[in-house]
Amino acid sequence: MHKSDLSYQLERFGLVIVWLAFIALFGALRPDTFLTWSNFSTIFGSEAVLVIVTLGLMIPLTAGDFDLSIAQIVTLVSMTVAILDARMDLPLALVLPLGLALGALIGLINGAITLYFRVHSLIVTLGVGTFLHGITLWIGNSQTISGVSPILMEWVIIQRVLGVPIAFYYAIGLAILIWYMLSYTAFGQQLLFTGRGREVGRLTGVAVDRVRLVAFVLSGVLGAFAGILYTGTTGSANPSSGTFLLLPAFAAAFLGSTCIRPGRFNPWGSVIAVYFLVTGINGLSVLGFRTFVQDLFYGGALVLAVMISQLVSGRKDRGL
Amino acid sequence: MSQTVIPRLAIKGLTKTFGGVRALDSADLTLLPGEVHGLLGTNGSGKSTLIKVLSGFHAPDEGTLEIDGRPVALPMPLGRSEAHGLAFVHQNLGLLPEATALENLIAGDHERLNSWRINWRAEAERARKLFAEHHLKLSPQQVVADLSPVQRAQLAIVRAADRVQEHRSHGVPGILVLDEPTPFLPQEDVRELFAMIRRLTARGVSIIFVSHDIDEVLEVTDRSTVLRDGKVIGTYETAATNRADLVEAIVGRAVAADRRVLALSPAAPIAEVRGLSGEILKDVALSVQPGEILGLTGLIGAGHDEVPMLIAGARAASAGQLSLNGRTYDLNQMAPADSIAAGIALIPADRQTAGIAPDLSLTENAVLPLLRGSLAINHRRNRRITADVMRKFSVKASSPDQPAAELSGGNQQKLVLGKWLQLEPRLVLLDEPTQGIDVGARQEIYDHLLALCAAGGAVICATSEFEQLEIIAHRVLVFDRGRIKAELKGADVTKAAIAKACYEVAEEHA
Repeated sequence: MHKSDLSYQLERFGLVIVWLAFIALFGALRPDTFLTWSNFSTIFGSEAVLVIVTLGLMIPLTAGDFDLSIAQIVTLVSMTVAILDARMDLPLALVLPLGLALGALIGLINGAITLYFRVHSLIVTLGVGTFLHGITLWIGNSQTISGVSPILMEWVIIQRVLGVPIAFYYAIGLAILIWYMLSYTAFGQQLLFTGRGREVGRLTGVAVDRVRLVAFVLSGVLGAFAGILYTGTTGSANPSSGTFLLLPAFAAAFLGSTCIRPGRFNPWGSVIAVYFLVTGINGLSVLGFRTFVQDLFYGGALVLAVMISQLVSGRKDRGL
Repeated sequence: MSQTVIPRLAIKGLTKTFGGVRALDSADLTLLPGEVHGLLGTNGSGKSTLIKVLSGFHAPDEGTLEIDGRPVALPMPLGRSEAHGLAFVHQNLGLLPEATALENLIAGDHERLNSWRINWRAEAERARKLFAEHHLKLSPQQVVADLSPVQRAQLAIVRAADRVQEHRSHGVPGILVLDEPTPFLPQEDVRELFAMIRRLTARGVSIIFVSHDIDEVLEVTDRSTVLRDGKVIGTYETAATNRADLVEAIVGRAVAADRRVLALSPAAPIAEVRGLSGEILKDVALSVQPGEILGLTGLIGAGHDEVPMLIAGARAASAGQLSLNGRTYDLNQMAPADSIAAGIALIPADRQTAGIAPDLSLTENAVLPLLRGSLAINHRRNRRITADVMRKFSVKASSPDQPAAELSGGNQQKLVLGKWLQLEPRLVLLDEPTQGIDVGARQEIYDHLLALCAAGGAVICATSEFEQLEIIAHRVLVFDRGRIKAELKGADVTKAAIAKACYEVAEEHA
């Protein structure tokens, strides 16, 4: 049977194997700095934001849509939370739901424009994202806002379980939720048909427009959640922070779709892909390479990932 | 006609087999200078295979081709036909709607496009002259999307004529193949198109006119060739023939198919449709009773294939009502989910995009309508359900987890059928259910439809395969230009009678 093929298993776990090989390589070269628990726990904790952005991006991608605005949702929500909390002294119990609601609202706007005007989501979210960045610079006066409540930091980065900041567990918790949603709920199947067989889904009674709208809202909420974690991680909001999240998240989502469940965007693949990419960059910088290596690595990984996934699916022309 | 005339085109003994079926069986065709030559035949008669051999799309098994007395090697390399003075206008016209008339005119014209700079002013001037020459009231700058259907058809014809005129090495007028250019044109526009065709032939152009419309063929052609089952039945001088002879030649006396219709006693209808209008359909009413298989058919553009889509809510009707099981539904507001809830199943014609999701597994495809709002999908159960469907509908696959793309067309269609019939629908709508499917799978699909009817369900099947209707339909409605024009029942449902009715109903708008 197909599933027990050795080559299929190799394909599923190929990325994990390469990841472990990377760790072994860097570990052998720099055992004292790279191969330490404190290095890894920092990686796991600080990249939780990227994991969540990738998970958020994956949902519209599964439904056949792009959300290029997600990184700017992160920044805007991060900035909004910082301003409401540090400048206006509103209680976190109010600020955090407001932040999430803002993300949902932006997702709703993305979806509404895409669906009502029948414009490609790539264009809509590119524009909305840039617009959001403008708002972020505006409300934050183009400055970093610091002085965020320590309670938020406490519950994002200071609390540790097994030495790893709690933010990591939020990301894993979300990955579990999304994995369950995609694998065990009717909505997950509807998302999949909306992306991979939209007309089939529509004729089988799937409200494809509603599914796409919900996908945009979910990616908005996840972006907002990542924004809150970002503020909590650094204790401040930086107007350009999100700009560096979009490409890694895309690279990880596409790279993730080549493993665990090859051919589909899947949460565990995405999580592994994020940590694979980050490990690579961390290792190379430990070896003394400078910052340009990030761009080489992320950009190269994205192109490589789509090449691999096309080879896997037999090089068919497709929208994604 | 004198014996010394060299034919523009001489096809001899053209044969082409597809998987053991002879689509063309030593067909001959001769096209004389300046003539309009009709090419007639039903679906599957070999018309399109012949055209596709000329355009280089198919390589024939046997046969020779001469153009202006000079032998041309077959298969014709794709794209080379133009150099031989042959140009094609297909039903979809091949125009880019967003582009201007001028851009469309020079699209694909490599000599013009490969120059370093396109001289738009000179090209526009040339286009204006060309349009004037062909009595086409059109500015080169007009966008094709804004043109009327007949203007678009004319533009496509002028473009084809111009192309072969310009590129002929030996200065002879070109040969145009017009493949069903008229079915979506209003009557008065067809006249305009014919006037253009006559002006072209007056200049020495020879034309092959492929059509299903006998009256148009009688009106515009000098001679016609009729194909049936891949064979040339005859070539007729238009002036010396009439519609009845042509219909006879097209339809033939088909051997009776193995009719498998179950006995049906009169009963109240299970479903009634009233006032159904769509893009082509105009105020159509029909009904179907429990246990009945109702066939809908017609020639190209007749609109019969719109009926299943509109009843199932796959596209919104502009008007219409459906009564089913004592409830009434407005068909201009019907959504697929409503029709599924009402006990309707639609098996669409376009299997690859509307029937299955090829990337997804058999299980995912089969159980989608069962999921509803489930929050805890039981994959083991779903695989079992799918295995059940695969067994009942004899879908040959290695596992329920296989991607649907890996199945043959017949197995894919059986999967689609199983996906829908497991819901035990009251009314099953089919659109060309056996397109591209082997004989064995066809029989199996018929068996399932008959079983459904035996259990009290009803089937409406839109198809242009007359033989299929002879095998399974109790009753056949023949459509023409959006209306029902004839009804055949019981023993009258034969391939030949259906074909005849299709051509006869088209007579009325002559």
